[in-house]
Amino acid sequence: MPATPESAEPRAGPAAVPIVLLVLPFLILYWGMIYFDRNSGWFSQEVYAPYYSVAELTLYQPPTGGLDLARGKAVYETICALCHNNDGMGKPNQAPAFVGSEWVLGSPNRMIRIPLVGLAGPVKVKDQEWNLAMPNMGAALSDDDLAAVLTYIRVSWGNKASVITPAQVKAVKKEIGNRTQPWSASELLAVP
Amino acid sequence: MNHGPLLFLAAFFALASSWCGFVLAPQLQVGQMQQTNTLSGGATYPVARPGEAQQGLQVYRANGCASCHSQQVRQSGTVCDVVLTEAGTNQAALIPALVTLKCGTIPTQAEQRAAATAKDKPPARLQEFSEPGARDLLAHLPQPVRQGLTREEANADVKALTAAGAKASIWIVPVGPDISRGWGRRRTVAEDFLFDYPVMPGVQRVGPDLANVGLRLPDASWHLRHLYAPRLYEKGSTMPPYRFLFEKRKIGKEPSPEALALPAEFAPEAGLEIVPKQAAKALAAYLTSLRADAPLFVAPLVAASPTTAAATNAPGASEPVSTHAVPTTAPTK
Repeated sequence: MPATPESAEPRAGPAAVPIVLLVLPFLILYWGMIYFDRNSGWFSQEVYAPYYSVAELTLYQPPTGGLDLARGKAVYETICALCHNNDGMGKPNQAPAFVGSEWVLGSPNRMIRIPLVGLAGPVKVKDQEWNLAMPNMGAALSDDDLAAVLTYIRVSWGNKASVITPAQVKAVKKEIGNRTQPWSASELLAVP
Repeated sequence: MNHGPLLFLAAFFALASSWCGFVLAPQLQVGQMQQTNTLSGGATYPVARPGEAQQGLQVYRANGCASCHSQQVRQSGTVCDVVLTEAGTNQAALIPALVTLKCGTIPTQAEQRAAATAKDKPPARLQEFSEPGARDLLAHLPQPVRQGLTREEANADVKALTAAGAKASIWIVPVGPDISRGWGRRRTVAEDFLFDYPVMPGVQRVGPDLANVGLRLPDASWHLRHLYAPRLYEKGSTMPPYRFLFEKRKIGKEPSPEALALPAEFAPEAGLEIVPKQAAKALAAYLTSLRADAPLFVAPLVAASPTTAAATNAPGASEPVSTHAVPTTAPTK
Protein backbone atom coordinates (compact mmCIF):
# COMPACT_ATOMS: atom_id res chain seq x y z
CA MET A 1 0.00 0.00 0.00
CA PRO A 2 1.51 3.13 -1.12
CA ALA A 3 2.13 5.03 1.93
CA THR A 4 0.83 8.51 1.80
CA PRO A 5 3.71 10.67 2.76
CA GLU A 6 3.41 11.55 6.35
CA SER A 7 2.58 15.16 6.77
CA ALA A 8 5.59 17.03 7.90
CA GLU A 9 5.78 18.09 11.52
CA PRO A 10 4.05 21.35 12.09
CA ARG A 11 6.46 24.22 12.22
CA ALA A 12 5.97 27.71 13.45
CA GLY A 13 6.45 30.22 10.73
CA PRO A 14 7.12 33.86 11.12
CA ALA A 15 4.11 35.76 12.42
CA ALA A 16 3.74 39.48 12.67
CA VAL A 17 3.44 40.94 16.18
CA PRO A 18 0.23 42.92 16.44
CA ILE A 19 1.03 46.56 15.94
CA VAL A 20 -0.79 47.46 19.14
CA LEU A 21 1.75 45.51 21.20
CA LEU A 22 4.52 47.58 19.68
CA VAL A 23 2.80 50.85 20.39
CA LEU A 24 1.64 49.98 23.89
CA PRO A 25 5.10 49.89 25.55
CA PHE A 26 5.85 53.32 24.20
CA LEU A 27 2.55 54.66 25.49
CA ILE A 28 3.28 53.16 28.91
CA LEU A 29 6.78 54.63 28.85
CA TYR A 30 5.35 58.03 27.93
CA TRP A 31 2.80 57.87 30.73
CA GLY A 32 5.54 56.80 33.15
CA MET A 33 7.69 59.76 32.20
CA ILE A 34 4.84 62.16 32.77
CA TYR A 35 4.05 60.48 36.08
CA PHE A 36 7.63 60.82 37.29
CA ASP A 37 7.87 64.36 36.09
CA ARG A 38 4.78 65.31 38.08
CA ASN A 39 5.21 63.26 41.21
CA SER A 40 8.79 62.34 41.88
CA GLY A 41 10.48 65.71 42.34
CA TRP A 42 13.11 63.89 40.28
CA PHE A 43 13.87 61.50 43.11
CA SER A 44 14.89 64.29 45.44
CA GLN A 45 14.82 63.05 49.01
CA GLU A 46 13.37 66.39 50.04
CA VAL A 47 10.18 66.14 48.05
CA TYR A 48 7.28 64.21 49.53
CA ALA A 49 3.71 64.19 48.33
CA PRO A 50 1.69 66.44 48.18
CA TYR A 51 4.61 68.54 46.93
CA TYR A 52 5.84 68.10 43.38
CA SER A 53 9.21 69.81 43.41
CA VAL A 54 11.70 71.60 45.61
CA ALA A 55 10.54 74.87 44.06
CA GLU A 56 6.99 74.26 45.23
CA LEU A 57 8.24 73.23 48.66
CA THR A 58 10.22 76.45 48.94
CA LEU A 59 7.02 78.37 48.26
CA TYR A 60 5.47 76.92 51.39
CA GLN A 61 8.33 77.62 53.78
CA PRO A 62 7.12 79.85 56.59
CA PRO A 63 7.94 83.50 55.97
CA THR A 64 10.84 84.55 58.16
CA GLY A 65 10.47 88.29 57.63
CA GLY A 66 14.21 88.83 57.90
CA LEU A 67 14.24 86.69 61.01
CA ASP A 68 16.85 83.96 60.76
CA LEU A 69 16.86 82.71 64.31
CA ALA A 70 18.67 79.46 63.57
CA ARG A 71 21.60 81.38 62.13
CA GLY A 72 21.54 83.90 64.96
CA LYS A 73 21.50 81.10 67.51
CA ALA A 74 24.47 79.39 65.87
CA VAL A 75 26.52 82.59 65.86
CA TYR A 76 25.48 83.38 69.44
CA GLU A 77 26.52 80.01 70.74
CA THR A 78 29.94 80.11 69.10
CA ILE A 79 30.83 83.70 69.97
CA CYS A 80 28.68 85.40 72.60
CA ALA A 81 27.68 82.46 74.79
CA LEU A 82 31.22 81.99 76.16
CA CYS A 83 30.70 84.98 78.45
CA HIS A 84 27.00 85.83 78.21
CA ASN A 85 25.91 82.21 78.64
CA ASN A 86 23.59 80.11 76.44
CA ASP A 87 20.52 81.36 78.27
CA GLY A 88 21.48 85.03 77.96
CA MET A 89 21.72 85.41 81.73
CA GLY A 90 25.37 86.47 81.67
CA LYS A 91 27.99 85.33 84.17
CA PRO A 92 28.82 87.04 87.45
CA ASN A 93 31.94 89.24 87.24
CA GLN A 94 32.34 88.32 83.58
CA ALA A 95 29.43 89.64 81.52
CA PRO A 96 26.02 91.17 82.23
CA ALA A 97 22.73 89.50 81.30
CA PHE A 98 20.92 90.16 78.02
CA VAL A 99 17.53 89.20 79.40
CA GLY A 100 15.58 92.36 80.11
CA SER A 101 18.68 94.54 79.63
CA GLU A 102 17.90 98.11 78.59
CA TRP A 103 20.94 98.05 76.26
CA VAL A 104 19.45 95.09 74.38
CA LEU A 105 15.84 96.22 74.31
CA GLY A 106 16.65 99.87 73.60
CA SER A 107 17.90 101.66 70.52
CA PRO A 108 19.21 99.31 67.80
CA ASN A 109 21.87 101.88 66.87
CA ARG A 110 23.45 101.63 70.31
CA MET A 111 23.27 97.86 70.39
CA ILE A 112 24.89 97.42 66.97
CA ARG A 113 27.81 99.64 67.99
CA ILE A 114 28.81 97.54 71.01
CA PRO A 115 30.07 94.34 69.31
CA LEU A 116 31.71 96.30 66.48
CA VAL A 117 34.41 97.96 68.59
CA GLY A 118 33.70 96.77 72.13
CA LEU A 119 32.65 98.53 75.32
CA ALA A 120 34.96 99.43 78.22
CA GLY A 121 34.61 101.16 81.55
CA PRO A 122 31.76 101.60 83.98
CA VAL A 123 28.32 100.76 82.66
CA LYS A 124 24.99 100.34 84.41
CA VAL A 125 22.89 97.34 83.33
CA LYS A 126 19.56 96.70 85.02
CA ASP A 127 20.55 98.87 88.02
CA GLN A 128 23.80 96.99 88.50
CA GLU A 129 27.21 98.61 88.04
CA TRP A 130 29.72 96.79 85.84
CA ASN A 131 33.29 97.87 85.15
CA LEU A 132 34.78 95.50 82.62
CA ALA A 133 36.00 95.57 79.03
CA MET A 134 34.26 93.79 76.19
CA PRO A 135 36.46 93.22 73.11
CA ASN A 136 35.24 93.85 69.55
CA MET A 137 33.72 90.39 69.22
CA GLY A 138 31.51 91.31 66.26
CA ALA A 139 34.08 93.12 64.13
CA ALA A 140 34.93 90.05 62.08
CA LEU A 141 31.31 89.04 61.45
CA SER A 142 29.50 89.73 58.20
CA ASP A 143 26.57 92.16 58.21
CA ASP A 144 24.15 89.26 57.85
CA ASP A 145 25.65 87.27 60.72
CA LEU A 146 25.81 90.26 63.04
CA ALA A 147 22.21 91.22 62.26
CA ALA A 148 21.10 87.63 62.81
CA VAL A 149 22.81 87.30 66.17
CA LEU A 150 21.65 90.70 67.45
CA THR A 151 18.10 89.86 66.37
CA TYR A 152 18.38 86.53 68.13
CA ILE A 153 19.41 88.31 71.33
CA ARG A 154 16.55 90.81 70.98
CA VAL A 155 13.78 88.24 70.55
CA SER A 156 14.96 85.29 72.65
CA TRP A 157 14.53 84.32 76.32
CA GLY A 158 11.46 86.51 76.69
CA ASN A 159 13.05 89.59 75.12
CA LYS A 160 10.71 91.35 72.74
CA ALA A 161 12.39 94.05 70.69
CA SER A 162 12.48 94.93 67.02
CA VAL A 163 14.42 92.98 64.39
CA ILE A 164 17.84 94.28 63.34
CA THR A 165 18.43 94.13 59.59
CA PRO A 166 21.77 93.79 57.77
CA ALA A 167 21.08 97.24 56.27
CA GLN A 168 21.03 98.79 59.75
CA VAL A 169 24.34 97.09 60.58
CA LYS A 170 25.86 98.38 57.36
CA ALA A 171 24.70 101.92 58.10
CA VAL A 172 26.22 101.85 61.59
CA LYS A 173 29.51 100.44 60.27
CA LYS A 174 29.65 103.35 57.84
CA GLU A 175 28.97 105.87 60.62
CA ILE A 176 31.70 104.65 62.94
CA GLY A 177 34.21 104.27 60.11
CA ASN A 178 37.70 103.16 61.18
CA ARG A 179 37.24 103.55 64.91
CA THR A 180 38.89 100.83 67.00
CA GLN A 181 38.70 102.57 70.40
CA PRO A 182 36.04 100.84 72.56
CA TRP A 183 32.96 102.85 73.49
CA SER A 184 32.30 104.20 76.91
CA ALA A 185 28.78 104.03 78.27
CA SER A 186 28.32 107.80 78.10
CA GLU A 187 29.35 107.89 74.44
CA LEU A 188 26.78 105.23 73.63
CA LEU A 189 24.03 106.97 75.57
CA ALA A 190 24.59 110.03 73.37
CA VAL A 191 23.67 107.91 70.31
CA PRO A 192 19.96 108.13 69.53
CA MET B 1 18.82 25.00 26.13
CA ASN B 2 19.29 26.55 22.74
CA HIS B 3 18.93 30.01 24.16
CA GLY B 4 20.81 29.67 27.41
CA PRO B 5 22.69 32.96 27.31
CA LEU B 6 19.58 34.82 26.22
CA LEU B 7 17.50 33.36 29.07
CA PHE B 8 20.28 34.16 31.51
CA LEU B 9 20.47 37.73 30.33
CA ALA B 10 16.69 38.15 30.44
CA ALA B 11 16.54 36.82 33.99
CA PHE B 12 19.51 38.93 34.99
CA PHE B 13 18.00 42.13 33.64
CA ALA B 14 14.60 41.42 35.19
CA LEU B 15 16.13 40.86 38.63
CA ALA B 16 18.67 43.65 38.28
CA SER B 17 16.05 46.21 37.33
CA SER B 18 13.87 45.35 40.30
CA TRP B 19 16.94 45.46 42.56
CA CYS B 20 17.73 48.92 41.18
CA GLY B 21 14.18 50.08 41.78
CA PHE B 22 13.58 48.62 45.21
CA VAL B 23 17.06 48.63 46.78
CA LEU B 24 19.44 50.94 44.98
CA ALA B 25 17.12 53.89 44.30
CA PRO B 26 15.81 54.17 47.89
CA GLN B 27 19.37 53.79 49.17
CA LEU B 28 20.53 56.65 46.96
CA GLN B 29 17.53 58.72 48.00
CA VAL B 30 17.52 58.37 51.77
CA GLY B 31 20.49 56.14 52.60
CA GLN B 32 22.68 59.08 53.57
CA MET B 33 19.99 60.82 55.60
CA GLN B 34 21.19 62.72 58.64
CA GLN B 35 19.68 64.84 61.36
CA THR B 36 18.33 68.14 60.15
CA ASN B 37 17.20 71.36 61.80
CA THR B 38 13.64 72.33 62.55
CA LEU B 39 12.32 75.45 60.90
CA SER B 40 11.49 77.40 64.02
CA GLY B 41 14.42 77.81 66.36
CA GLY B 42 16.68 75.47 64.38
CA ALA B 43 16.72 72.66 66.94
CA THR B 44 18.29 69.38 65.87
CA TYR B 45 15.73 66.85 64.64
CA PRO B 46 15.17 64.04 65.28
CA VAL B 47 16.83 63.13 68.55
CA ALA B 48 17.24 59.49 69.51
CA ARG B 49 14.55 58.01 71.73
CA PRO B 50 15.48 57.43 75.38
CA GLY B 51 16.84 53.97 76.16
CA GLU B 52 13.65 52.56 77.66
CA ALA B 53 11.69 53.74 74.65
CA GLN B 54 14.16 51.98 72.37
CA GLN B 55 13.52 48.75 74.27
CA GLY B 56 9.83 49.52 73.90
CA LEU B 57 10.22 49.57 70.12
CA GLN B 58 11.25 45.91 70.29
CA VAL B 59 8.24 45.13 72.50
CA TYR B 60 6.05 46.97 69.99
CA ARG B 61 7.55 44.82 67.26
CA ALA B 62 7.35 41.55 69.18
CA ASN B 63 3.66 42.01 70.00
CA GLY B 64 2.70 42.83 66.44
CA CYS B 65 1.37 46.28 67.23
CA ALA B 66 2.35 47.35 63.71
CA SER B 67 -0.12 44.91 62.16
CA CYS B 68 -3.04 46.99 63.45
CA HIS B 69 -1.55 50.45 63.98
CA SER B 70 0.16 52.59 61.37
CA GLN B 71 2.67 55.35 62.07
CA GLN B 72 2.07 57.25 58.88
CA VAL B 73 0.21 60.52 58.71
CA ARG B 74 -0.84 61.40 55.18
CA GLN B 75 -1.29 64.90 53.87
CA SER B 76 -3.30 65.87 50.82
CA GLY B 77 -2.24 69.50 50.53
CA THR B 78 -0.99 72.65 52.17
CA VAL B 79 -2.87 75.91 52.56
CA CYS B 80 -2.04 79.33 53.91
CA ASP B 81 -3.98 81.31 56.50
CA VAL B 82 -3.62 85.04 56.91
CA VAL B 83 -3.35 86.08 60.53
CA LEU B 84 -3.78 89.67 61.61
CA THR B 85 -1.26 90.26 64.38
CA GLU B 86 -1.27 94.00 64.95
CA ALA B 87 -3.90 96.52 63.96
CA GLY B 88 -1.57 99.50 63.62
CA THR B 89 -2.92 103.01 64.04
CA ASN B 90 -4.86 103.60 60.84
CA GLN B 91 -8.20 101.92 61.57
CA ALA B 92 -9.97 104.06 59.01
CA ALA B 93 -7.94 102.38 56.28
CA LEU B 94 -7.76 98.92 57.83
CA ILE B 95 -11.48 98.30 58.25
CA PRO B 96 -12.35 98.92 54.58
CA ALA B 97 -9.38 96.73 53.65
CA LEU B 98 -10.70 93.88 55.81
CA VAL B 99 -14.17 94.23 54.29
CA THR B 100 -12.99 94.36 50.68
CA LEU B 101 -10.69 91.34 51.18
CA LYS B 102 -13.75 89.45 52.46
CA CYS B 103 -11.97 88.64 55.68
CA GLY B 104 -14.04 87.09 58.39
CA THR B 105 -14.19 85.28 61.68
CA ILE B 106 -13.15 81.70 61.30
CA PRO B 107 -15.26 79.25 63.31
CA THR B 108 -13.46 77.94 66.35
CA GLN B 109 -12.70 74.26 66.68
CA ALA B 110 -15.52 73.83 69.15
CA GLU B 111 -17.99 75.37 66.70
CA GLN B 112 -16.71 73.22 63.85
CA ARG B 113 -16.99 70.10 65.97
CA ALA B 114 -20.51 70.95 67.08
CA ALA B 115 -21.53 71.59 63.48
CA ALA B 116 -19.94 68.36 62.29
CA THR B 117 -21.71 66.22 64.90
CA ALA B 118 -25.11 67.86 64.43
CA LYS B 119 -26.25 66.23 61.21
CA ASP B 120 -29.07 68.62 60.29
CA LYS B 121 -27.08 71.80 60.77
CA PRO B 122 -25.00 73.29 57.97
CA PRO B 123 -21.25 73.26 58.57
CA ALA B 124 -19.76 76.24 60.35
CA ARG B 125 -18.71 78.78 57.76
CA LEU B 126 -16.51 81.79 57.53
CA GLN B 127 -18.53 84.79 58.68
CA GLU B 128 -17.56 87.70 56.48
CA PHE B 129 -16.99 90.97 58.23
CA SER B 130 -19.22 93.89 57.99
CA GLU B 131 -17.85 97.08 59.48
CA PRO B 132 -18.88 96.53 63.13
CA GLY B 133 -17.61 92.94 62.94
CA ALA B 134 -14.23 94.16 61.77
CA ARG B 135 -14.10 96.69 64.59
CA ASP B 136 -14.91 93.94 67.07
CA LEU B 137 -12.12 91.79 65.66
CA LEU B 138 -9.48 94.44 66.16
CA ALA B 139 -10.04 94.16 69.89
CA HIS B 140 -9.00 90.49 69.91
CA LEU B 141 -5.69 90.19 68.07
CA PRO B 142 -3.92 88.10 66.84
CA GLN B 143 -6.73 86.56 64.81
CA PRO B 144 -6.82 84.45 61.67
CA VAL B 145 -8.88 86.37 59.14
CA ARG B 146 -8.66 84.32 55.96
CA GLN B 147 -8.25 80.61 55.58
CA GLY B 148 -7.30 78.05 52.97
CA LEU B 149 -5.48 80.32 50.53
CA THR B 150 -2.66 79.63 48.11
CA ARG B 151 0.65 81.26 48.88
CA GLU B 152 0.17 83.91 46.20
CA GLU B 153 -3.27 84.88 47.51
CA ALA B 154 -1.95 85.01 51.07
CA ASN B 155 0.99 87.19 50.02
CA ALA B 156 -1.40 89.57 48.21
CA ASP B 157 -3.63 89.77 51.30
CA VAL B 158 -0.71 90.46 53.60
CA LYS B 159 0.43 93.17 51.23
CA ALA B 160 -3.02 94.78 51.26
CA LEU B 161 -3.26 94.63 55.06
CA THR B 162 0.28 95.98 55.46
CA ALA B 163 -0.59 98.84 53.16
CA ALA B 164 -3.39 99.70 55.59
CA GLY B 165 -0.85 99.96 58.41
CA ALA B 166 -1.54 96.61 60.04
CA LYS B 167 0.81 93.70 60.56
CA ALA B 168 -0.23 90.32 59.23
CA SER B 169 1.53 86.99 59.04
CA ILE B 170 0.97 83.77 57.19
CA TRP B 171 0.38 80.38 58.76
CA ILE B 172 1.37 77.36 56.70
CA VAL B 173 -1.26 74.72 57.41
CA PRO B 174 -1.00 71.13 56.16
CA VAL B 175 -4.42 69.63 55.43
CA GLY B 176 -5.72 66.13 54.88
CA PRO B 177 -8.09 63.58 56.40
CA ASP B 178 -5.49 62.24 58.85
CA ILE B 179 -4.63 65.74 60.00
CA SER B 180 -8.34 66.56 60.45
CA ARG B 181 -8.62 63.54 62.73
CA GLY B 182 -5.94 65.06 64.92
CA TRP B 183 -3.44 62.29 64.18
CA GLY B 184 -0.70 64.76 63.38
CA ARG B 185 0.07 68.26 62.27
CA ARG B 186 2.00 67.40 59.15
CA ARG B 187 2.74 64.36 57.03
CA THR B 188 5.19 61.74 58.22
CA VAL B 189 8.58 61.93 56.50
CA ALA B 190 11.59 59.61 56.48
CA GLU B 191 13.42 61.81 59.01
CA ASP B 192 10.88 60.86 61.67
CA PHE B 193 12.16 57.26 61.65
CA LEU B 194 15.88 58.06 61.52
CA PHE B 195 16.73 56.44 64.86
CA ASP B 196 14.25 53.55 64.68
CA TYR B 197 15.41 50.07 63.82
CA PRO B 198 13.43 48.41 62.46
CA VAL B 199 11.14 51.10 61.11
CA MET B 200 7.52 50.33 62.01
CA PRO B 201 5.30 52.29 59.63
CA GLY B 202 2.58 49.65 59.95
CA VAL B 203 0.58 47.73 57.38
CA GLN B 204 -3.06 48.50 58.09
CA ARG B 205 -5.22 50.70 60.25
CA VAL B 206 -7.39 48.57 62.44
CA GLY B 207 -6.69 51.01 65.26
CA PRO B 208 -5.77 54.68 65.20
CA ASP B 209 -2.52 55.96 63.78
CA LEU B 210 0.22 56.21 66.40
CA ALA B 211 2.71 58.57 64.72
CA ASN B 212 1.86 61.29 67.27
CA VAL B 213 0.32 59.28 70.08
CA GLY B 214 2.86 60.68 72.56
CA LEU B 215 1.62 64.13 71.68
CA ARG B 216 -2.08 63.50 72.24
CA LEU B 217 -1.71 61.03 75.12
CA PRO B 218 1.47 62.00 76.96
CA ASP B 219 0.63 60.09 80.15
CA ALA B 220 2.50 56.77 80.44
CA SER B 221 0.11 55.49 83.13
CA TRP B 222 -2.80 56.00 80.70
CA HIS B 223 -1.01 53.72 78.23
CA LEU B 224 -0.38 51.09 80.90
CA ARG B 225 -4.04 50.99 81.92
CA HIS B 226 -5.06 50.96 78.27
CA LEU B 227 -2.74 48.04 77.49
CA TYR B 228 -4.17 46.14 80.44
CA ALA B 229 -7.81 46.88 79.61
CA PRO B 230 -8.45 48.70 76.32
CA ARG B 231 -12.20 48.75 76.97
CA LEU B 232 -11.59 50.91 79.97
CA TYR B 233 -11.42 53.90 77.63
CA GLU B 234 -13.22 52.79 74.48
CA LYS B 235 -16.35 50.71 75.09
CA GLY B 236 -16.28 48.65 71.91
CA SER B 237 -12.52 48.56 71.45
CA THR B 238 -11.36 45.59 69.40
CA MET B 239 -7.83 45.83 70.72
CA PRO B 240 -6.87 42.69 72.65
CA PRO B 241 -5.87 43.24 76.27
CA TYR B 242 -2.14 42.66 76.76
CA ARG B 243 -2.45 41.25 80.28
CA PHE B 244 0.63 39.05 79.98
CA LEU B 245 2.69 42.25 80.12
CA PHE B 246 1.43 42.69 83.70
CA GLU B 247 1.85 40.74 86.88
CA LYS B 248 -1.02 40.03 89.24
CA ARG B 249 0.42 39.63 92.69
CA LYS B 250 -0.41 39.81 96.36
CA ILE B 251 -0.13 43.20 97.94
CA GLY B 252 2.83 43.19 100.30
CA LYS B 253 3.14 45.45 103.32
CA GLU B 254 2.12 48.39 101.18
CA PRO B 255 0.59 48.56 97.69
CA SER B 256 3.24 49.07 95.01
CA PRO B 257 3.50 52.64 93.74
CA GLU B 258 3.52 51.18 90.22
CA ALA B 259 0.25 49.28 90.66
CA LEU B 260 -2.43 50.26 88.15
CA ALA B 261 -5.31 52.34 89.45
CA LEU B 262 -8.24 50.50 87.90
CA PRO B 263 -11.99 51.00 88.36
CA ALA B 264 -13.95 48.22 90.05
CA GLU B 265 -14.95 46.62 86.75
CA PHE B 266 -11.36 45.76 85.84
CA ALA B 267 -9.76 45.70 89.28
CA PRO B 268 -8.30 42.41 90.58
CA GLU B 269 -9.67 40.58 93.63
CA ALA B 270 -9.16 42.13 97.03
CA GLY B 271 -5.62 41.79 98.31
CA LEU B 272 -4.14 41.60 94.80
CA GLU B 273 -2.62 44.28 92.61
CA ILE B 274 -1.70 44.62 88.93
CA VAL B 275 1.91 45.68 88.35
CA PRO B 276 3.43 46.31 84.91
CA LYS B 277 6.40 44.15 83.92
CA GLN B 278 9.47 45.78 82.41
CA ALA B 279 8.16 45.11 78.88
CA ALA B 280 4.94 47.03 79.56
CA LYS B 281 6.86 49.97 81.03
CA ALA B 282 9.18 50.02 78.02
CA LEU B 283 6.23 49.88 75.61
CA ALA B 284 4.51 52.76 77.41
CA ALA B 285 7.78 54.74 77.26
CA TYR B 286 8.00 54.05 73.53
CA LEU B 287 4.39 55.11 72.92
CA THR B 288 4.82 58.36 74.83
CA SER B 289 8.01 59.05 72.86
CA LEU B 290 6.11 58.91 69.56
CA ARG B 291 5.72 62.40 68.25
CA ALA B 292 6.54 63.61 64.77
CA ASP B 293 5.32 67.17 64.54
CA ALA B 294 8.44 69.30 64.22
CA PRO B 295 8.26 71.74 61.31
CA LEU B 296 10.91 70.70 58.79
CA PHE B 297 11.99 72.00 55.40
CA VAL B 298 10.55 68.87 53.79
CA ALA B 299 7.26 69.19 55.67
CA PRO B 300 6.74 72.86 56.47
CA LEU B 301 4.19 74.23 58.87
CA VAL B 302 4.05 77.25 61.07
CA ALA B 303 4.86 76.47 64.67
CA ALA B 304 1.59 76.02 66.47
CA SER B 305 0.77 74.58 69.84
CA PRO B 306 0.01 70.85 69.95
CA THR B 307 -3.50 69.96 68.86
CA THR B 308 -4.16 67.77 71.87
CA ALA B 309 -7.64 69.13 72.34
CA ALA B 310 -8.65 68.36 68.78
CA ALA B 311 -7.21 64.87 68.73
CA THR B 312 -9.38 61.84 68.60
CA ASN B 313 -8.35 58.25 68.90
CA ALA B 314 -11.25 56.79 66.96
CA PRO B 315 -10.37 55.87 63.38
CA GLY B 316 -13.96 56.45 62.25
CA ALA B 317 -14.19 59.99 63.54
CA SER B 318 -13.37 61.69 60.27
CA GLU B 319 -15.22 64.89 60.91
CA PRO B 320 -14.26 67.76 58.67
CA VAL B 321 -12.51 69.55 61.48
CA SER B 322 -9.61 71.77 60.69
CA THR B 323 -6.77 71.55 63.15
CA HIS B 324 -5.94 75.17 63.40
CA ALA B 325 -4.28 76.06 66.62
CA VAL B 326 -2.93 79.20 68.11
CA PRO B 327 0.76 79.59 67.26
CA THR B 328 3.16 79.92 70.13
CA THR B 329 5.47 82.14 68.17
CA ALA B 330 4.36 84.52 65.51
CA PRO B 331 6.54 83.93 62.46
CA THR B 332 7.05 87.58 61.67
CA LYS B 333 7.87 90.37 64.01
